[in-house]
Amino acid sequence: MSVVKNAGFIWLLTWLWVGADEGVWWSMRDLKRPSLPAGTEENVIDRFVRAEQRELGLEPGKEADRRTLARRLAYNLWGMPLEQERVEVFVRDERPEAYRDLVDELLDSPRYGERWARHWMDVVHFGESHGYDKDKPRENAWPYRDYLIRSFNEDKPYARFVREQVAGDVLWPGSEDGMVAPGFLSSGPWDFIGHAEVPEEKIDGKVARHLDRDDMVTVTMNTFCSLTVQCAQCHDHKVDPVTMKDYYSLQAVFAALDRADREYDLDPKVAETRKSLKDERRELKGRIDEVSKAIEKAKTDEIRELENELADVVNGRSNRFGYHSEVAASQDVVKWVQVDLGESVLVDEVRLFGASEYGFEDFGFPHRFRVEVSDQGDFSAKVVIGDFTEADVKRPGAGAFVVKSEEAKGRYVRVVATKLWSRRHAGQPMSEDWIFALSEMEVISKGQKRAGMKVSSLDSIQAMPRWGRANLVDGVSGKGATKSAGDLELRLEKILGKVAGDSLVRRTALEEDLGKVDRLISELPRPRKSFAGTVHHGSGNFKGRGGVGGKPREIRVLDRGSVTQPGELVVPGTVPGIVPGTARFELDEDHSEGDRRVALAEWIVHPENKLTWRSIVNRVWQTHFGQGLVATPSDFGRIGEKPSHPDLLDWLAVEFRDGGGSMKGLHRLILTSETYRQSSVGDEKNEQTDAFNRFFWRQNRRRLEAEAVRDTVLLVSGMMNFKMGGPSFRDFVIERPEHSPHYQYHKADPDDVSTHRRSVYRFLVRSQPQPFMEALDCADPSLLVEKRGDTTTSLQALAMLNNAFMIRMAENFAKRVEGEEDVVGKVIALALGRAATDEEEKLLGKYLADHGIAAMCRVVFNLSEFSYVD
Amino acid sequence: MSIEMESRRDFLCRSGGGLGGIALASMLGENLRAEGILGEPHHRPKAKRVIQLFMGGAASHLDLFDFKPELVKRHGEKSDFGEHVEAFQNGLGPWKKPVWEFSRHGGCGKLLGETVAPLGEVVDEMAFVHNMVGTTGVHSQATYLQATGFDRPGFPGMGSWVSYGLGSMNENLPTFVVLPDRRGFASNGPKNWSSSFLPAVNQGTIIRPGTPEPVTHLFPPKSAKFLNSGTERDAVDLLTKLNGKYASQRGGDSRLEARIQSYELAARMQMAAPEALDLSKEPGYIREMYGLSPDGTSWPKEINWKEEADYFGRKCLSARRLLERGVKFVQIWSGNDNGFPRRNWDSHEDIEREHGPLSRGMAIGAAALIKDLKQRGMLEDTIILWTTEFGRMPSTQGTKGRDHNPFVFTNWLAGGGIKGGVTSGESDEFGYKPADRRNPTEVYDIHATILHLLGIDHKKLTFRKDSIDRRLTDVHGKVLANLIG
Repeated sequence: MSVVKNAGFIWLLTWLWVGADEGVWWSMRDLKRPSLPAGTEENVIDRFVRAEQRELGLEPGKEADRRTLARRLAYNLWGMPLEQERVEVFVRDERPEAYRDLVDELLDSPRYGERWARHWMDVVHFGESHGYDKDKPRENAWPYRDYLIRSFNEDKPYARFVREQVAGDVLWPGSEDGMVAPGFLSSGPWDFIGHAEVPEEKIDGKVARHLDRDDMVTVTMNTFCSLTVQCAQCHDHKVDPVTMKDYYSLQAVFAALDRADREYDLDPKVAETRKSLKDERRELKGRIDEVSKAIEKAKTDEIRELENELADVVNGRSNRFGYHSEVAASQDVVKWVQVDLGESVLVDEVRLFGASEYGFEDFGFPHRFRVEVSDQGDFSAKVVIGDFTEADVKRPGAGAFVVKSEEAKGRYVRVVATKLWSRRHAGQPMSEDWIFALSEMEVISKGQKRAGMKVSSLDSIQAMPRWGRANLVDGVSGKGATKSAGDLELRLEKILGKVAGDSLVRRTALEEDLGKVDRLISELPRPRKSFAGTVHHGSGNFKGRGGVGGKPREIRVLDRGSVTQPGELVVPGTVPGIVPGTARFELDEDHSEGDRRVALAEWIVHPENKLTWRSIVNRVWQTHFGQGLVATPSDFGRIGEKPSHPDLLDWLAVEFRDGGGSMKGLHRLILTSETYRQSSVGDEKNEQTDAFNRFFWRQNRRRLEAEAVRDTVLLVSGMMNFKMGGPSFRDFVIERPEHSPHYQYHKADPDDVSTHRRSVYRFLVRSQPQPFMEALDCADPSLLVEKRGDTTTSLQALAMLNNAFMIRMAENFAKRVEGEEDVVGKVIALALGRAATDEEEKLLGKYLADHGIAAMCRVVFNLSEFSYVD
Repeated sequence: MSIEMESRRDFLCRSGGGLGGIALASMLGENLRAEGILGEPHHRPKAKRVIQLFMGGAASHLDLFDFKPELVKRHGEKSDFGEHVEAFQNGLGPWKKPVWEFSRHGGCGKLLGETVAPLGEVVDEMAFVHNMVGTTGVHSQATYLQATGFDRPGFPGMGSWVSYGLGSMNENLPTFVVLPDRRGFASNGPKNWSSSFLPAVNQGTIIRPGTPEPVTHLFPPKSAKFLNSGTERDAVDLLTKLNGKYASQRGGDSRLEARIQSYELAARMQMAAPEALDLSKEPGYIREMYGLSPDGTSWPKEINWKEEADYFGRKCLSARRLLERGVKFVQIWSGNDNGFPRRNWDSHEDIEREHGPLSRGMAIGAAALIKDLKQRGMLEDTIILWTTEFGRMPSTQGTKGRDHNPFVFTNWLAGGGIKGGVTSGESDEFGYKPADRRNPTEVYDIHATILHLLGIDHKKLTFRKDSIDRRLTDVHGKVLANLIG
């Protein structure tokens, strides 16, 4: 393992950040607490800001009025307005502590975590579907979102917050937060086809996995360190001293990971029990295999003959009877057969058996098909539990084709054949008679085979006793049983007992033990699941690294970023010159993949990391002012902007770091400053010097984000459902889920109260964005969004006016204020937190008289003031 | 549609002030142009508009445009590529000849497959590129690559770049319009025409001609009984007044001025979009030329060419009407996502089954579009690009299909300064890889050429994102001079 220990080399790397004319690049200077400028301002922020202003001759703005402050604070900390009554109390409260009390009250509310989690989700491009083609929903991504909300509300120390997201599963495996937080690493898009349908050995498979690691490196380094290392993927970074080797060292940190659902137990006892049971199971399996081998070895020719004979009889008595469709003239005719379970149950497993005919053991078994579960006999709504329609399945022979299901519930199970079978010779069809046949279909629910199922199908040849619907569920060893099978079994047992009696006894005992272990596992509470960057234990093309004990993939420098041009092997590490000391991690030869991530997490939160602490205080500042002290919050490199107030930035970074990384503390410091409380009104003289307000002589007027608009609409209409946490609400209907799901937003019911939750709980689809939120510049979960767009378009106006949700909420708002003495006044008070002006009373009153309350409420939703905060 | 425009206040100052809101808006309407970032083009443009025809699922070059006699000769023989080949579904069966007969067309004598023979009439306007290469045989990545120049999500579509660079020619309609397949989106859906990190105004706007709501949110839902034309007219007036007051109290914030404009533009789009999409205004012979069947024709369940021609033709005809009204970039999609039965060009099982109806329908509409633009004098400044994800293999998959071929495929272009009747770049004798493997054509070259014709130097139209000055052509791209007339 190569480790950079040489002090001279470190010096050299720091030197690389030195520009010809300006000394060390600002973000690469050691982080030290600067001395305060002269002045009398109590709040340190004001001291720094005013000092600059004095130098530039800028006149600071006046404090905004209390109503404006209340609205501004509420949107900054909650993303929605205060109750009207609370605003009035604050406006009348003349105590000096009134403002600080309001800040505390807002920070103490769970609404705060909901608001700030959403900001974090922008930066880390959190989404709940894969993106790319086959953009399937991620059913278990939401726990990470809940983790964020919880962490902000608990005011989790920032260093812990970082460590959890990069390596929480390694550092705190027994905690919910530790296990869920690495959802950070899997937050971005993922190519289903490139992983699940293309093996890792193929070029396309390699490209997909390379892009996947690139996304993990990028999100980690941009989010926490504001360093755009991804630029060094194809060549050394053009302007920052990040080499290709550094970049691929970072890829090596994540080289064992994939994106997948991870199962975990919260109760450490259960987790331990499950682990030891699984170990035991593995060991028992191994021993059974060994004994079986011994038995196999001991078998004589006579025994083998007997076995064959028995197999013939067993096959003969079972799978010669079954269901057989009518004959189709072409292979792509779709046929189906289904069973009715009599009641809606959880389906664990569906087993399908081919039929025995013409020497085929899988006669009629379709080449392609899917298995669906539904509560409706007509399958108008359904869950696909097995989709084998993309490629031909491996012929099952006489064995069962097992389709496992995860929590699918339904009364009906249907097999839809999409590529029919015909008799073949040497792989070529012998006839154009295309059929679909099965001898048996078993449905396992809660570990039990379901009995008493009824069969229906698109069609059936009904040639009893061989072929008929009922035969599909007559039991594998049902019809036509002959006594000879029993005789054979007895004879076999006897002879085998003579040659391998001890082994047979031992195997039976072991199998009993295995049964016990399996029962114990099934009795444990169901494990939780969350989608995370994790070692994946998969099969087929998407194996992951579980099968090799989580051993990381070998990472090499790729010339021009091309997987077909691998170069030098790299070791896990990071970018030199940012934390004193090593850039390649010092790890034991036998380190685990988790050790790599822990090493990176420790490097990020190192007190002397020059980027981490500056990065986070700048992000918080940007959210409160609409513009950062550094205007490029995810890029502190040379292409990024320089800070407007470098000393203030450093002071805040040190204060935040040394104060335990408390976000709420940082908010209090910023929000109580005079700088924050200034009015947003312009000033012609100041504008001549500083048109873009880089020196904060006023507050910036901000357009509300899509989420804040939607939440406010729900709130003022009286329809907000404050249910916190859990699976996301879906304001769409999914159609055709089996391939590329169609997310149909226009089919959602705007009256569905389960969708009337805060927007942070909205299910975030990558390929098909929600049209209303998208029109309002919501974050694109395929992009790292360091700052929201602020565009104004006619399509936005149309969305605000005509979106079905907006229309229904205008009607709900109307119902809420109906019968009020002063309807216009009430609507303005609720929507804007102030009294209506005479002009508004007149104009809106006239509109109300002409067109009704709902139409008037809709106009109020479309006022600029509704969407802007001073 | 963009709002980067001078503020109303500035305008009032210059024009002496005193004009009322609505009157002013209508006065501004015709003259106000949303400027592109470039202001002036880099050089004198040959073209003003682009139509991109995108075949989702990957259309076969071998059965439509790129005739390979060697495959006819060796049909059924064991395929031999002379090297190890990684095919997406290992479809490396015997050599497979084109499904259809090829015949010569036009003055240039170009060989076209039977189903695309309708393009024969205009083949002298078309330039073929038979040595296109991609980087991947995965649908999603390949679609991204052809649509955005990058093989992953997060980059603006070509239409978004054009809109960003050149701005709008008609504020009442979107600059970049997308006409998706009626059956659903191709791989990646709307991310293929996303504005991504460019301002949202440059995003492709989905238009569904012939449906009750051709543009999302264009009108209130039918269920909103409390709204009518009166509520709408008065609402825009009222918003202009109240939002005008709010803006005037906060002078200097151009966003607030733009917001007022946006409502007026929205109202105008409500008039302009249905008018632009009203195909009943088109005479019978035009509808016939585009392959349209009478409105309300009902179709069999099985895929068939007449239905394909009708739908594709309607999109082509709508595109022409939109371009006439100042839309700059139209993207027309053929084929939906990968499901079964297949309704796209991903013919792993049976080329004839899907390629037959899809290509015949496409060829009728595309040929009509070229003819129609020409007779209106618009072909000379409208570029048409036909493209797809990648090509298909010269070997057989199963018994009648072809697997993915990212190693070579075909694009063709027409109009807008493109030289007609030429071929630039050949594939090898089997249509497996470029004839000259060291000098293939890539999507970057096609994009660079289109930008060049629009007056844009592809290296100079950039946007800084995450430290990189991003451009449509990444770090690649050369203008294909031999395609330019």
